[in-house]
Parts: sequence; C-alpha cells; structure tokens
Amino acid sequence: MSVFEHLMNGFATSFLWYNILFAFVGVIIGTAVGVLPGIGPMSGVALLIPVTSTVTSGIGLGPAESATSSIILLAGVYYGAMYGGSTTSILLNTPGESSSVVTALDGYQMAKKGRAGAALSIAAIGSFVAGLVSLIGLVFLAEPLSNVALSFGPAEYFSLMLLGLCAVSGLAGKSMTKALIMTVFGLLLATIGMDNVSGVARFTFDNPILYAGLEFLTIAVGMFALGEVFKTIIDNDKSAGKIAKIDRVMPTKQDLKQSAAPIARGSFLGFFIGVLPGAGATLASFFSYITEKKLSKNPEKFGKGAIEGVAAPESANNAASGGAMIPLLTLGIPGSGTTAILMGAFMMYNIQPGPLLFDKHPEVAWGLIASMFIGNVMLLILNMPLVKVFAKIIDTPTRYLLPIIVAISIFGVYAVQVSIFDLMVLLGCGVLGYIFTKHDYPIAPLVLSLVLGPMIENNMRRALTASNGDFSIFVSKPLSAVFLVIAVLWIAIPLILKMKGKKVLVNEEA
Amino acid sequence: MMKRFDTWASLVFLLIGIAFVVGSTQLSTSAFGSSVGPDIFPMGLGSILILLSARLMFETFKAPVAAKQQAHVESAATAEEEDEAIVPSKPNYKGFFLIFGAAFLYAFFLEDIGYPIGTFLFLLFAFQVMERGKWLVSTIIAAAFSLGIYFVFVKILQGTLPGFPSFIPL
Repeated sequence: MSVFEHLMNGFATSFLWYNILFAFVGVIIGTAVGVLPGIGPMSGVALLIPVTSTVTSGIGLGPAESATSSIILLAGVYYGAMYGGSTTSILLNTPGESSSVVTALDGYQMAKKGRAGAALSIAAIGSFVAGLVSLIGLVFLAEPLSNVALSFGPAEYFSLMLLGLCAVSGLAGKSMTKALIMTVFGLLLATIGMDNVSGVARFTFDNPILYAGLEFLTIAVGMFALGEVFKTIIDNDKSAGKIAKIDRVMPTKQDLKQSAAPIARGSFLGFFIGVLPGAGATLASFFSYITEKKLSKNPEKFGKGAIEGVAAPESANNAASGGAMIPLLTLGIPGSGTTAILMGAFMMYNIQPGPLLFDKHPEVAWGLIASMFIGNVMLLILNMPLVKVFAKIIDTPTRYLLPIIVAISIFGVYAVQVSIFDLMVLLGCGVLGYIFTKHDYPIAPLVLSLVLGPMIENNMRRALTASNGDFSIFVSKPLSAVFLVIAVLWIAIPLILKMKGKKVLVNEEA
Repeated sequence: MMKRFDTWASLVFLLIGIAFVVGSTQLSTSAFGSSVGPDIFPMGLGSILILLSARLMFETFKAPVAAKQQAHVESAATAEEEDEAIVPSKPNYKGFFLIFGAAFLYAFFLEDIGYPIGTFLFLLFAFQVMERGKWLVSTIIAAAFSLGIYFVFVKILQGTLPGFPSFIPL
C-alpha cells in the first residue's frame, strides 16, 4: 500500500467517534497543562496514562484499538501543551513550559503594548503551520526510516540506543556528570526483577513483589507529577503578575506578512531539532529565536515586542514535538523525556514502537498520525476564538489543584497496579523527584533509561551471544561503529567546549 | 548547601554502584549455555556508576565556583524578566510534611477504609493545609471528586477500587 492509502486508513481510524473525542480531550487537557505553570507535558502525560487505559478498557475496546485511542489522547496532550505554553508567556510573562521561555521575551512586551491578541493568534497560527510541516515530514520519513531500521541487528540496535541515551544525557541539565549518573542509575533500576533472557531473579532479595521489576509508570508519575507538586508546595510561589488584557484576536495583514518567513524557518528548524535525540522543544525554540535575531534587519527591536520573536519560537517548539515522534515511531527509541513516557504507554498495551509498528499495527501508527492533523486543527480553533476562555485557567486556585493532582496520581497508579507497594514507591519517587530536580539531577534521563534498559540489555546480550562473548562485534559492524562514534562525540564535544570556556546550551526539559 | 548535597549524593551513588557490583557476583548462573550471563550488564553499569560518582565527588571538591558560572546560560536571559512576576517566599516545609504525611496515610490505609472515604478525607485535609477556610467549597469539591471518580470508575468502567468499608452498609 502506498503512503497515501495508509494515511487514508489512518484518517478512517481517527474519524471514529471515540477517537475524535479522545483527540479533543487530549488537546484540551494539553492546552490546560501548557497554561498551568505547576504541571508540564511530562507529568501531564504520565498522569493520564493510567486514566486513559482504564477508560479505553471500560468502553470495551480491544488491545490494539485501546492503544490507538490512548496514544491519540496522550500525544494530543503533548502537542497541545506546546500551544498552551505560549498563553501564559504572553499574558503573564510566566512561561507555563520551559519551551515557551523565549516566547515571553517578545510576547509579554507585545502584550504590554496592547497587542496581546495579535501575539496569541500569531503563536497559534505559527504552531499550526509548524504542526502541519512536521506531520508531513513524519508521513514521508516514516516508511523509509523504518525500512532502514528493519535491517538493524542487535549490535546496531544496542549502539543506537546507547547513542540515544548519550544524546539525552549530554544535553540534559547543567552537569553532564549528574545526567550520566541518573542515566546509569535508571539502567540499574531497570535490571531489578526477573531477567528476561535467563529467568534468574536479580536484586529482588527473594521478595515476590520485586520479581516483576519496578513499574515504569509508578516511577514516572511519582518523579514528574508528584515531584512537581511537592516543589510547588515547598517553593510556595505566588504568581503576582497581572493578566494582560486581550483586545482583538485576529492579526493584521502586516503581522501576517512579518511572521510568514519566521514561521516557515521556525517550522523547519524545529522539526529537524526535534528529530535529533536529546534536543527537544526547548532547544528548538531557543535556536529559532537566535536565528531570527541574527537574520533580522533590525535586531534591536527583539526583546521589545517584535512579532517575529513570538512567531519563530512558537512554531519551532511545536514542530519539534512533531519531529520527536519520528525516532519514537520508526526506530522505537524515544529521544526525550516526554516521548519516553509515550513509549511506556505503548509498551503497556504490548505494542512495541519501532520499525515493525508500521507493519504489524499500521492502524496504530497511521491512526495516530492522522489524528495529529485533526488535533492541530482543533487546537487552532481552540486557541484563536477561545483563547480568552483558556486564559482563565491561569486563575485555577492551586490550593485545589495540587491536592487533586496527588489524588489523581494515587488513583491512577492504584487502578493499574492494584498494589499498596506501588503507592509507597510512588510517594517515595515523588520525594526523590523533588530532591533530584532541586539539586540539578535531571529526571528525564533516568526515566528514559528505565524504558530503554531492558531493550539495551537484551540487544547487547543477543549480540554477544552471537559473537560468543566477543565485544568487538559492536565496532566491527560498520553501522554500529558509526553510532558508537557519534555517541562518544556527543558526550566529548560539549566537554571540550566547556574546557575551552565556551557556553553550552542545555535542555532543561529534555 | 548544594556542594554538601552533591558530596553526600556522590557517596550514596558510590555505595549503590558497589552494591550492584557485589550483588551481581552473587547471582545464580543459569543453565542457558551462553558466556553472557545475567550478571554482566548490572556489573558493568555498577562499575560505571562507581567511576561517575568518583568524578562527581572530584568535581564537587574542585571548582564549585566555576561550575556556578557555567550554569544558567539558558535562564539568564529571562531571569531579569521573571523577577517581575514571581515573588519569592519562604519554603513551606510544614505544608509539605502535612500533605505528604496525609498522602502516606491515605495510600497506606487505602484498602482498609476504601477509596471514597479515604480520598474525601485526604482532599479535605490537604485543601485546608494549602489554605485555611472556605470549608463549604472544600467539602463539596472533595466529595464530588472522590464520589465522582469512584462511581464512574467502578460502576460504569467496571474497574477495581476498594469500596466502602464493611461496617458501612452501602
């Protein structure tokens, strides 16, 4: 079947009434998550995994259909947050997400000048165009890339996943040593439980609860969602800003003309940055802002309410979130914290993302892609006329919101695991998550390696078994050697740059 | 303070690394006829963790000042702007411990007192810890959330949650 036929089948799947509903709920929650400063896309997606899985099994869908519907909703939260993040940046000068930090630079200045409406609508239009660009890229790259990946053996896979981990640790947080420690720690945690290959119980202390290993979902919800709640409670931040007034929402012709080129550049730049492992939406928005400033004829107006300074980064962060889906769907290797959580969701339904996904479960892959088209249209509608309604979400009192997030975490984990032990792990991870983030130990690499750990180990041992324990198999296979070299460079180059005293941009969202 | 934490953290990670290395030497070997047993992966990782924590300790002792200048490249640009919007205040440890303690009790006794009652009590308490007063609104939201989730999940979606305790006939 051609790409076009696959896509049409995907649309058929995504136009089922419940999938439209799931996409709609996803993008609405995503926008809300983007607007609320307390919770980010990672915790939003992690929180919703157990909720969606109970809802899909409740309305009587089969495993493949439930997976499709859940992933549609969860992906909606992910890219919806990219739209919503701009709202608070512009109106309050308080970015809801790290990927919208640069938007605040010019967006808030525009709002101060009474052009909040124009800034918001350009952000929405830019996000929409970028969403389409990255989806078209996804449609055309998905098949060729997964065909390449099909030729990979265990050695290539091992090296590629190692590359993914190195890329994420190399860019996450302020200290690479800390990021690497978190990565290795995550990989070690993943070894707890019954060994998949030999059936030997490892590090379980003969405790049957640990035989199945530590549940990824429990740790992700605890570290991200509870960690953020605890941080907000302890930091006791009170947002004292005043919401800027929104006047006319439609941009003028002049605005559109000025933003067209930045949106196009931001979309492409963001898309390619998103495809790279480790570099996520935050880096994409920074790079596109810097690019626009360099290309501009009058760079002095940046930071004083230049519409290009809103259009480019907002397009870039949305394009990056689309681009980040490519390595996840085609290679089965998440390149960021949020996509790692999405991958965890896939695995919960026993569906392995990767090259075989397009072969074995085309309805999941193409249904998701098609639903992202629909979701982006919904978001454009939601964020243009209804932006005033969403701006009101900022006023949600944290005194009700935070305890409810705790309650949802406990409900979600219990509903899926039905075990008090998991709830204890959940609470412990919440405290750990707070302590780690407070001291710049990034959590995203830990969660990523928790997902990838078993796969890395399996592939490593399969490769070594084939080579009779000879480690040179990883360098004697050319493709695998290339991946390993890139992985080493990814870690080494920032270190060398730092030694030379250069500034290195880091990705806080990872 | 950061420095002290990093020193302790590097010690803890060092111990974890050693524990995993020692633990993997004690794993039973499988009948699976491969030279690559279940111990090789955790043992290798444990060794890497030992090296990394040694490096972290070294970094912490060496140049904490220089490291600070490297940081905040990203947020430096916006730090000035953010100051306007966020008023920093004292860390609210008391609130955290109260809510965490309540969450712990709630989770621990969830199967004994059941979901609706446990959730209602936890939420009502946590709302009041966050901000005293507004009892009526707090009660309504707590009740609506706990009963709403319970009935939708158990009655409509046929899920499993601990119901009302046996001494309440419902």
